[in-house]
Amino acid sequence: MRLGILRSTAVASVLGIAVLASGCAPGGGGTTGQNPSPSTVSTDISGSGPVTLELTDFWAGVEGEWIEAVIDDFEKKHPDVTIERTTEEWGQLNSTLNLKLQSDDGPDIASANNGWQSLGTLARGGLVRNLDPYVEAYGWGETVPPTIARQNQFSTDFTTMGTGSWFGTPMARTALIGLYYNIDELKALGLQPPTTLAELESAAAAVKAAGKTVFAYGSLDGVTAPLLGVQAALADKTALGSYVYGDTSVKVSDIAVAEAAKVVGDWASKGYFPEGYNGIDYNTAIANFKAGQGVFRWEYTGSLGLDAEQQKHFGYTQLAQSSGSVVAVGAAPAAMVISSRSEHPDVAAAFLDAMMSPEAGQRAADLGLVPALAPDATLPATSGTLVEEANAAKTLDKDDGYVPYFDWSSPTMFDTLTQQLQLLYAGKSTPQTLAEAVEQDRSAFLAGQG
Amino acid sequence: MLSTDEKTTAPHRPAPVVTASTPPRRPGGLARRRRLTGLALAAIPLALYGAVVLIPLAQSVRYSFYSWDGVGAATWVGLRNYASFATDPVLRSTVGHVLVLVVFFSVLPIVLGLLSAALLARGRSRGMAVYRWIFFLPQVLTSVVVALVFRRIYALDGPLNSVLQAVGLGSLARAWLADFTWALPALGLVGTWATFGFCMVLFISGTTAINPELYEAARMDGAGPVREFFCVTLPGLRGQVAIAVTLTVTASLRTFDLVWVTTRGGPGTSTLTPAVALYRAAFQNPQVGLAAAIGVTMAVLCLLIAVVVTRTAERD
Repeated sequence: MRLGILRSTAVASVLGIAVLASGCAPGGGGTTGQNPSPSTVSTDISGSGPVTLELTDFWAGVEGEWIEAVIDDFEKKHPDVTIERTTEEWGQLNSTLNLKLQSDDGPDIASANNGWQSLGTLARGGLVRNLDPYVEAYGWGETVPPTIARQNQFSTDFTTMGTGSWFGTPMARTALIGLYYNIDELKALGLQPPTTLAELESAAAAVKAAGKTVFAYGSLDGVTAPLLGVQAALADKTALGSYVYGDTSVKVSDIAVAEAAKVVGDWASKGYFPEGYNGIDYNTAIANFKAGQGVFRWEYTGSLGLDAEQQKHFGYTQLAQSSGSVVAVGAAPAAMVISSRSEHPDVAAAFLDAMMSPEAGQRAADLGLVPALAPDATLPATSGTLVEEANAAKTLDKDDGYVPYFDWSSPTMFDTLTQQLQLLYAGKSTPQTLAEAVEQDRSAFLAGQG
Repeated sequence: MLSTDEKTTAPHRPAPVVTASTPPRRPGGLARRRRLTGLALAAIPLALYGAVVLIPLAQSVRYSFYSWDGVGAATWVGLRNYASFATDPVLRSTVGHVLVLVVFFSVLPIVLGLLSAALLARGRSRGMAVYRWIFFLPQVLTSVVVALVFRRIYALDGPLNSVLQAVGLGSLARAWLADFTWALPALGLVGTWATFGFCMVLFISGTTAINPELYEAARMDGAGPVREFFCVTLPGLRGQVAIAVTLTVTASLRTFDLVWVTTRGGPGTSTLTPAVALYRAAFQNPQVGLAAAIGVTMAVLCLLIAVVVTRTAERD
């Protein structure tokens, strides 16, 4: 017994010593609250001498080909500069980027996820640079639509997102939420592609009456695209943006959450979704749509993976609001950041500028990706769907009609939306309850922000 | 070491002349020296253990008292992260889910394992090894493979529903993992399937160690199979049951991969486990403090269960 006490005392003291040894408070791995931002910046990097920059991103497949092409173009233009690229899976990079940026041999440039979950946390921790001097030097404020620019902005006291200094940059590509349709099926039913939510409702009723599945959809995972797509067609764009960016004067009732949830919930109860949709996972739903089961599908652009032949059979439409203007959930596929530890910020900034150039947009179009910030990009004539997607992006660039991804409003918002939609479909929740859960999630997060 | 051991444990040997002439060493000094030598030999493994287990453990305990995003400065919040178990209904519900899983991962496999061990212990038949191997197979499979297989089995157009339709029970067919009522039991049964074989093999090997004379004596006294099980087999398997309880209960408390691959905690939050909540807090949402608090709570629970089980099993 005495030995037992001795042993537990020993263990306790070892643990105690370990606690003391590891410092008094966690954190401070970065230079907290200090985002280095040199007073003299240069857009002329010809005198930089040989420089090697490390880039870490999460792009594979065609997206990987795009960034490789942009790097090649940049290196040709600046023979002194070498960009060494490493790539990691999206979730993996998201969960380790904060550690990488604290390391001495970490990347100079990285792709981060927008919102507080990643970009905001990195900026607040002082791990990424304040890019304002470069915004001024390169004139990014003029070339980037304000609704896209603010997705990368944070106040320097890090209480507010969507305003203040730039901590990341977009790129000459975009990802929108919109409505895809099966061209052949619509034609067979004698229907026109819908341009408004009302037209979609009547087309949907006609499809259902003809005994076909209206929406290719599964709610097992990846459930939020229809809700957010409908919300963009209903909500006031300024209010929705302000809500996501944490403006507490805007309430959940101002941004059509309950209304959109009602529309989508009604689709479920009217049988517009396939049988057993609650058990269909995301990839199966996409495969079903491409196989012709379901006339419409809400989806993020670029996620269907349509090849040249399939592009002839699927169309894309961005529903206009009842006022006639087009609003859509859209953003660059990532926020590009420069590490606070980078020794060559001028060169890194020049590369970010190249990623936003019309040439990079053309590279995207050539590869079948939706270009942005490149109004004159020419699209391959064979890519039917891409032309429509790109036209939607062009309209949004022109109208400045982007609203941010809703899940940026708090780190847990995506989980909340998924859970609440599944409850709604099962009849265990109402659109009103869903909206309340959204509000509760955001206020809990904002309260913690201080 | 060896010579001193021989001296103390084998007193019947003739003692060397040298030691006989020197005064006998005090036992305390001897013990201390032996302990120091032991400690010195264990120093390197202990240091390694400290570096990879104890220090991270202590760090986790420390993080659990802070609100920390993993990058910036942390704020001391005292026990607030732990209080989330009481105040956050979603986190609280994960504890209930895990208790349901304990029934499926631990209670059911042990009961079934004991039953099959009792049946098999009464007579030896040919091909036993093959059966054991088949039932043990799930234990060898990677959990992700098991989860993927069952995702297919439970799908709307999967084998389970096909069987139900074939026998005229088509009305029961559903997407099992998307059903608010059935998703958790469905996942639990995967655990039962996976751990049953392990428990059975453990118990069968335990019964072979029971003295056959005990069975003969019981039979001579007129005990039937039920009496024999409770009076001979079960007491004889006490140690094995303790091992099975400890391993299966702690495994069910830590359930992550099965849920992550199949439902990610859905539908709603009906299959969310503490381990999944921990992963989300630590790696998806910047709430390192909360994640640490969940981890510490689960570790303490596992430790408590292990202590209680071993104490109970060792008591006579």
